[in-house]
Amino acid sequence: MKRLAAAVTLLGLATVTACSGGSTTQSGSGGGGGLFTTIDVNRPGLDAAAPPNPYNPKGNSFSAFNAMKIGWVKNHLTDPNQALPGIAESWEIAPDNSAITLKLQPNAKWSDGQPVTTEDVRMSIGIAYTQGSTAFSVTPGAAGAAAEVTVVDDKTLKITQNMDNPSPKFARGVLDTTVLPSHVWKDVLPADFWDKLKTARGEGAEAEKAREEITALGQKVLAFAPAKDVSAGPFVLERVNPGEALLVKNKHFYNAANVAPAQVKFLNFTGNEQIWNYLTAGKLDHSGFVAAPTDVMNRIKQAPGNEVIKGYSPVAVGMGFNQSKKPYDNVHVRRGLAYLINRDEVTKVASPEGGTPATTTTGIHQKAAPAWIGDTVGQLEPYKPDPAKAEEEFKQAGLTKKDGKWTLSDGSPWKVSMTAPSGFSDWISAQENIKSQLIKNGVDAEVVTVADYPLYLEELAAGKYDVGFWLMALGPAPYDIYQRLYGASNGWTNVAGKVTHAAPGKGGNWMGGPEEIEVEGIGKINPGELTAKLNTATAEEAKPIMTQLAKAANQDLPVIQLWDYVNNQFVSNSRFTGWPHDDEILRLGTGVLASGVWIQLGMVKSKQ
Amino acid sequence: MTIIARRLAGHLARGLVMILVVATISFFIVNNIPGDPMAARYEKLIEQGMSPEAAAQGVKVLYGFLPTGTLWEQYTDYMSGLVRLDLGVSVSRPGTPVLDVLGEATKWTVLPVLAGTLLSFLVGIVLGVYAAIKRTGKLGDALAISGSLLHGIPQYVLAMLLVVIFATLIPILPADGPVDILFEPGFNAGYIGSLVEHAVLPVATYALSAYGGWILAMKSSVVTVLGDDFILAAELRGMKRSIIFRYIARNAILPLFTILALSLGLLLGGAVFIEKIFNYPGLGLLLINSINDRDYALMGGAFLLITVAVIVANIVADLFYTVIDPRVRSGEEAR
Repeated sequence: MKRLAAAVTLLGLATVTACSGGSTTQSGSGGGGGLFTTIDVNRPGLDAAAPPNPYNPKGNSFSAFNAMKIGWVKNHLTDPNQALPGIAESWEIAPDNSAITLKLQPNAKWSDGQPVTTEDVRMSIGIAYTQGSTAFSVTPGAAGAAAEVTVVDDKTLKITQNMDNPSPKFARGVLDTTVLPSHVWKDVLPADFWDKLKTARGEGAEAEKAREEITALGQKVLAFAPAKDVSAGPFVLERVNPGEALLVKNKHFYNAANVAPAQVKFLNFTGNEQIWNYLTAGKLDHSGFVAAPTDVMNRIKQAPGNEVIKGYSPVAVGMGFNQSKKPYDNVHVRRGLAYLINRDEVTKVASPEGGTPATTTTGIHQKAAPAWIGDTVGQLEPYKPDPAKAEEEFKQAGLTKKDGKWTLSDGSPWKVSMTAPSGFSDWISAQENIKSQLIKNGVDAEVVTVADYPLYLEELAAGKYDVGFWLMALGPAPYDIYQRLYGASNGWTNVAGKVTHAAPGKGGNWMGGPEEIEVEGIGKINPGELTAKLNTATAEEAKPIMTQLAKAANQDLPVIQLWDYVNNQFVSNSRFTGWPHDDEILRLGTGVLASGVWIQLGMVKSKQ
Repeated sequence: MTIIARRLAGHLARGLVMILVVATISFFIVNNIPGDPMAARYEKLIEQGMSPEAAAQGVKVLYGFLPTGTLWEQYTDYMSGLVRLDLGVSVSRPGTPVLDVLGEATKWTVLPVLAGTLLSFLVGIVLGVYAAIKRTGKLGDALAISGSLLHGIPQYVLAMLLVVIFATLIPILPADGPVDILFEPGFNAGYIGSLVEHAVLPVATYALSAYGGWILAMKSSVVTVLGDDFILAAELRGMKRSIIFRYIARNAILPLFTILALSLGLLLGGAVFIEKIFNYPGLGLLLINSINDRDYALMGGAFLLITVAVIVANIVADLFYTVIDPRVRSGEEAR
């Protein structure tokens, strides 16, 4: 037995010794350009078995690293169509927004050496139709949908907009499309796809059938697993394990000479805590926005080389009311509460680094508001903390104060019940702070947390909560901004320009606001219909509509705008430099990892 | 038919029924978990800057992977799939069979938990015997106290403590992930070394948290055996201490083997907190993520796998006991 044990031990040692020679293929720390370490902040949980497919939610495809879009749309305050070059070197948008002509990068090649062609872009547009996108939609009459895709020559492509229902963000929709290699993906779409698409644009049973077939193709696209990654981006996927993904430089990338890192490592995470740990340990060269409490933020900043770049994030958070429930159906109650909440204090407690207290409720991020509604911002009621005004409003609503506590008009107790999903630490802190502010002013309040976000959204839509937090002001497009207040959550559905209104409590209408509002100085408006108009309005046409909606939101308060988010980008100057500080390029398109764009355009430089 | 074969047949029949019952219960529980994953996905896309129409279409395509039909039809499909070992397709990983996802995650749970459990078992029983023999001395007391202390500390506290000590204060070990991606996967020293390095803290957590139980159980078992007549007889006959020690160990270890087999059965489901803390991509972490994603097929598959492991471990423990303890065999034969 002892002899056997000794023999096994010796054999084991011999094997390890033999293997430790030449077969160790550690790529080192980056061979020249260095190793760039980051995370895909939009997608927790790496999946080693997932394919390099940008449409697969777990796909090992990292936008701007090994997945390229036609262009990288900017975070402009008002113009949704501004972009940086991607697979397209340049583009021309027709003055009436009826077409966009793309010129592809002359030297663009896939990582297997094949050139990027207009056929690749055309096929990628076909794939986009199966997934649904702003410009490539099979929904009849959808605003901003493309009409024709024409190959002009091997590097030029023209896409026209269906002008029956045009959208000002048509070009954005085109540019924000991922480009895939047709020689790899060609079998995913059937040969008669474009004929089917033409049929789908029509009316009747045949068109409906074609639309269903195209949507069904979407599942085939999601599940498609290329044997290996073929990328036109600056990097190509080398391998993935459940903890990390490794990408190496694509020598065929059109701007490879200016790409600093030789390798990119994506780290896995499942929650914010892990990102905080990576950042405090100085492991990440870049991370996109992640909410962090003050003490954590301080620790992150203290790590050698770390820097937090702040920019504009077109998102705000509001305290939304379920107006189907009493007393929130009364505007004076909502206004009274607005006068009791000190938004500076709430923001200081809940999101000191990631938010700026809202100046007032407009429905628009305060940074974009002046560009859209100009001086109107200054004319709106700011709802500064004022207990006397709150008392006045509550009295107008018929509330009564008994033993220092506000009660409903029939004398029954009133408690403001606010709900937030577990894990949303900033929302919960904010609600706790609001609770203490309200209690101090005689309004009983409570904070209820629910298990997670999917449950929160389900119960919110079902109208189970009195008060919940709601993301709003999602710019830059005016329609996207206001549909958060006057869209499905408040009863209005806009399908292909046709607006319908669902009764409170039905079809996801949890806000339950009135269908028409009497706005001071304007008259009666239907905010849902006005919002729908924004979907096709030009910037100049949108401004007066947005002014009306801002006044309506300010007066009627379907939500109290609490704070406007700040886009915090975390970078480390220890290994790389050259980080941009320009607001407009700190956030670049749907799911795009900004640092990938900065790297491919040669902004980021290696210190090694 | 031999006793073991008879017992095995009985266990397998009971196990099969239990699996079917558990599959049924877990199917209905999982499918009734509240929450709207489509709304959560939609909100996520909207936050990333997608237009409402595009986000709605994207969600529609993704959730085309959800089973359709009435709950009863879904149940019959699920059960008939189960017979063919088809647990359905994951929604969070569109198109990927649940069995493949589970297979990938299981290996990352089994290896460290198995290593931790066996390590704690070996150390625990050796020190348990020692603590029993030296139970009146200071060392015996110290070993027993160490066992009680470690047994009382929750696993996740121990895990965080190890992270703080060995990854933050004295940063000599990695605190997250299973292996460094820079090493080419394969049978080479770099890769294996990285695997081992990353597994040290999770394995140490499992080992330390289980060690207390083993040492206390072994000590108690040995103390019981020490009072048996055959030990007294052996001592009176002047046998060598090493032989007496073997007598003691062999008899005292029997009940611990049963516990070991059951622990191995529980290992698949017992790693949720540890995997979360160490970002270790095993079954526990997969289960948490599948709940967050409301990936019903994956959740059901994970629950089922954990249950099957426990049932199989019970069967193995029982059969094992029949093999190693002649008294059980002779009892059966006497019937």
